[in-house]
Amino acid sequence: MPVFASSEELIEVMENLWKRIKADPSISQKLLQSKLCVRFHYRHPTGQLTVDGTDGLELKISTQESKIKPTIEMFMQSDLAHDFWIGKLNLAVAVMSGKIISRGPINQVLALLPVIKPAHSMYIEVFQSVKNKM
Amino acid sequence: MNNISPFIFYCPTRIEFGENLSISAAECLQTSGGSKVLIICDEGLIKTGVVAPILNSFQEQGMIAHTFSDVPSDSDLSCVNQAVALGQAANCNAVLAVGGGSVLDTAKVVNICLSLGGNPLEHQGMNNLTRRLLPSLAIPTTAGTGSEVSQVAMIKDAKEGRKLLFGSRFLAYDTAILDPLLLVSLPAKLTAATGLDAVTHGIEAYSAEAIRSPITDALCLESLRLLFNFLPQATKCGDDLAARANTLVAASMAGMAFTNAGVGIVHALTHTIGGQFSTHHGATNAVFLPHGMRFNFDVVAHRYASVARYLKFSDNQNDQTAAKIFITKVEELIAAVGLPTRLRDLGVPNLAENQIAELAYLATLDSAIMFNPKEASSQDMVNIYKRAY
Repeated sequence: MPVFASSEELIEVMENLWKRIKADPSISQKLLQSKLCVRFHYRHPTGQLTVDGTDGLELKISTQESKIKPTIEMFMQSDLAHDFWIGKLNLAVAVMSGKIISRGPINQVLALLPVIKPAHSMYIEVFQSVKNKM
Repeated sequence: MNNISPFIFYCPTRIEFGENLSISAAECLQTSGGSKVLIICDEGLIKTGVVAPILNSFQEQGMIAHTFSDVPSDSDLSCVNQAVALGQAANCNAVLAVGGGSVLDTAKVVNICLSLGGNPLEHQGMNNLTRRLLPSLAIPTTAGTGSEVSQVAMIKDAKEGRKLLFGSRFLAYDTAILDPLLLVSLPAKLTAATGLDAVTHGIEAYSAEAIRSPITDALCLESLRLLFNFLPQATKCGDDLAARANTLVAASMAGMAFTNAGVGIVHALTHTIGGQFSTHHGATNAVFLPHGMRFNFDVVAHRYASVARYLKFSDNQNDQTAAKIFITKVEELIAAVGLPTRLRDLGVPNLAENQIAELAYLATLDSAIMFNPKEASSQDMVNIYKRAY
């Protein structure tokens, strides 16, 4: 059974998570320094989320179809994204085995992994709160 | 009992080994459906006369071949774009690479653009290619890179001063011809440097905890045995065909291992320094290797120890002791083949603290680091850099 019951649930979790990350300057300021625009494509259920920090000033979070050309795109199962955020996924294995497909300089995303480490605990809180509400 | 973690091992490249087998290149590509072949090599190789018999084989086979020979030792995007333009203008439908790692990686990226269109930057990434490329054949003229069997290619972005990563199962060559005769004229310095690249592949892939497997372990161990046994002789006596053959096969075995298990901190640092100062990849690996091994020592001493025992360097059952012996043997090998042991000897200038910090940061961004068995911070990179300088 998929972790997320619907696209709406998936998007609510991911959007709320990134809003929490944006609100935490200890994470967001470091992400902004990279000036990256990353788009996540989820499937089963489907969803899309873009985090755009290209202006170096504000992380813009969008869950709509967007014309902005991202620096990096990552394609994955929604369950896999959940596994990553709860710390169960070895990203190297996922990237090498093709479970995550990346387009663009994936190394720049990998470099941000230590920066987003504190967001793993945020995710668990956000996930549980959305699940409780649904 | 040791459990086996889930793994994927993939090596679709057909390997043909034999003296003078490279003259069957045309026939090989014709069998794969190629009729107009883009041959990618480098000017130095043309001058040695090594490529001439291969080119002649295309004439004899009645095939059309267009040669692009402007690949530098550290290939970049502009080189790829020039080769693509030639291939497109000539409507080539197969790719042959004859050369070292730079040539083989260049030809892979050229094949992406010839097959799928677009510019190289659009195809950066891992597993993002969706279909097979044009028929391809690699004939390595060095024993080191492993690119003839790997599913990745790295090309320099000269403007950004960093290496770009391309990775896909479709990127692997259809066939690799290993012909030791082609290596006979390889200078001792290059034999040593490329050989140490293969040694680094074997050691880093054997230490990469995340996705290694019993299959990659076996390839690493045996390739290291061959390299330690034959690299000094291949360096000292270039026309020793047995030494050439063994190092050539060993390099491909190490290539199969690292493309399925990953590399690590040594390659991350080498990619960064190479991107900035155009140092030779293998020689730079040789400088960083003992330092990288010492950095990882506390988490993979047991792995180094098992290599030491396999290579009969030590039968000591204490992992720490055997592992230290292995690092010493690596240093002795580097000395035996006459490679520099300091970055300054490779021509890297004396850098200011902020420049070192910037390089260290870039090394933490390198894709190779994700397979290192131990997390490395920017400060760790600075420390290794300073020790290696």
